[in-house]
Amino acid sequence: MNLIPLVLYAAAAAVYAVHFAKRSPGIGRTATTILLLAVLSHTFVIGMQTMEVRHVPFASRSHAISTFVWLLALSYIYLELTTDERAMGVFIVPIAAGLQTIPAFLPGVENADPVLDSPWFWVHLLSMMFSYATFAVAGMLGLTYMLQFKEIKKKHLGYFYARLPSLHVLDAMNSRAVVVGWLFLTIGVVVGVVWAAQARAVAPGNSNLQAMSLNDPKILIAVVTWAVYSFEVVARSTMGWTGRRAAWLSALGFVIVLLNFLPVSYFVTTSHTFQ
Amino acid sequence: MHLFLLGVSHKTAPVDVRERLDFSSRNLGAAVEALATRPSAAESVVLSTCNRSEIYVASENPERAREDIVAFLSHYHSLSPESFTPHLFSLDDEAAAKHLFRVAAGLDSLVVGEPQILGQVKDAFETAAGRRCTGPMLSKLFHWSFGVGKRVRTETALGEGAVSISFAAVALARKIFGRLEGRRVLVIGAGEISTLTAEHLRAQGVGEMVITSRTPAQAEALADAVSGRAEPWDDFASLLGTADVVVTATGSQRPILSRAQVEATTGRHRSGPLFIIDLAVPRDVEVSVGDIEQVFLYNVDDLQSIVQENLSRRTREIAHAETIVAEELLKFATWQRSRGAVPTVVALRQRFDAIRRSELQRLDGKLAGLSPDARARVDEVTRLIVEKLLHEPTEQLKALPDEETQVAYTEAVNRLFRLRTGESASGSTDAAADSTSADRRK
Repeated sequence: MNLIPLVLYAAAAAVYAVHFAKRSPGIGRTATTILLLAVLSHTFVIGMQTMEVRHVPFASRSHAISTFVWLLALSYIYLELTTDERAMGVFIVPIAAGLQTIPAFLPGVENADPVLDSPWFWVHLLSMMFSYATFAVAGMLGLTYMLQFKEIKKKHLGYFYARLPSLHVLDAMNSRAVVVGWLFLTIGVVVGVVWAAQARAVAPGNSNLQAMSLNDPKILIAVVTWAVYSFEVVARSTMGWTGRRAAWLSALGFVIVLLNFLPVSYFVTTSHTFQ
Repeated sequence: MHLFLLGVSHKTAPVDVRERLDFSSRNLGAAVEALATRPSAAESVVLSTCNRSEIYVASENPERAREDIVAFLSHYHSLSPESFTPHLFSLDDEAAAKHLFRVAAGLDSLVVGEPQILGQVKDAFETAAGRRCTGPMLSKLFHWSFGVGKRVRTETALGEGAVSISFAAVALARKIFGRLEGRRVLVIGAGEISTLTAEHLRAQGVGEMVITSRTPAQAEALADAVSGRAEPWDDFASLLGTADVVVTATGSQRPILSRAQVEATTGRHRSGPLFIIDLAVPRDVEVSVGDIEQVFLYNVDDLQSIVQENLSRRTREIAHAETIVAEELLKFATWQRSRGAVPTVVALRQRFDAIRRSELQRLDGKLAGLSPDARARVDEVTRLIVEKLLHEPTEQLKALPDEETQVAYTEAVNRLFRLRTGESASGSTDAAADSTSADRRK
């Protein structure tokens, strides 16, 4: 079922790439339309799964990735609609398409542990997912900032110079994305801690809950992520770490997020395997 | 009806001749009206910019039109014809249309791809149209040229990239700061080139503009011109802290801005980048200033190489733009030829309709028994049959690929149906043909 959104995300990514190369407004509008269709079909898929299992699908990792992709696409569409700037599509939509291959080809079985049936847990999960999606956008904004910065600084005004938005716009968008992501990450982490303590009291024998400590890589890396983005937010306002430094931090933060999201989730963690 | 163009441009006439034949500083509308009183110019548009004065007319008699326009120019500008006729160029029909398309596309401009010309072409047409000096021919031609200009602008990079140093500096500032509204500019040295750059920046809506110069009077003058503020020279370094863009162009033999001076205002003292445009030769700013992380330093040579790059990119786009002009010219020529078939088409329709009416009249007695409704229907059916029969031949005649074929075909149709269409009738039937084809589309 996740195949149709995948095909549409991939098509949108391709058309965004053509738009980036040719800079034709018509092609840009086509790209946006295809992406909207992709999100629509993806919403439908997630909606069907939600009806089926009676909660947002997350417990199998491939479902979690699918939900993440959906939130990422929504964040990007918000960015595009509010800034009227399509140049970022070529950097962000391929991430959505790439990640979507996992749920499309490795569909998981959604069999959630009953211990998760708590509103706190949902707040934790959706906040974390949304903050990661926002960090993905911020990371790509950081990357493009560095590309644009390099061309202007080195006085080689080339391919990216003509196509990317101004440094100011990239920096402002990055700042907004990081603050929003950091806010949701904070909520997600705090609520996660509160919920785990509560759940432990209810189900003392649960192996996942017992493994919840800073010794678990997934939790440790989440805290490191929080530290990196907290530093970015503080450094921007007090130490003048804007522009290139903020861009570097955003890119670095996203690498950590991606690390936590894929390899750590799949192979290392013992605390976040609820099925 | 023929298209005829007579005029001077930067390619055919020196500036003093162009100045004398310039219409833009005088009342252009009155000029078009004066021209329209000449009988040889059925329709006329005057296009006048600093690089060209061109007169487009639709005329039955281009020879006569030429004489009339020369007389008009001589009379209007009070010049002897000999003083300007050697510099005139003239073009007919397709060549004239092609010229206008190239002009509107910016291909004929002094700086290829400059954007103002399309607006000037539109103004010229609107001035003439507003005084009822245009008709179907020039109206179609000019609207077509607007389309060509727009296509070239959106489909090619002909107009892209700044082609002067001061515009290149402004374009860079926009890539660094986005919109320039509210940005603070510091101008050090109030010479000619810094004035030009300051004016361009002001046009972008920058916020505060501070000017300082060793000669306070010059600083005051420039501050007045760009509604900025003049500050004393002694402590210009202290002004750096609040500036986003710094333009320097002093006559100093040694750098006036050192790395230490700039560094004192960057780091945590500054929330965004600093863009320094060093327009002075020898340079005003130490080269190592460019190594400071938040500083973008561009000197005259850097900007000049951007301009060169942009110019050569525009040159590479010329071929693409010329292809668009050629394509549009082909379409326009087909449209124009379709008008050549109009007299034959009109005569053919009149002939068929006459036959239809006479047959109905002949059968009048037999149809007398029918109700008015039924009679109306008979009339309608016969009319539709004629319409359907004529539809395909009409379309074919209008779409013939070249003039020679068209003459052969119209001649054949004229003979086959014994039609009488003379040149003299064409003018009056044009309107009729347009109205019949409009009817048919309903």
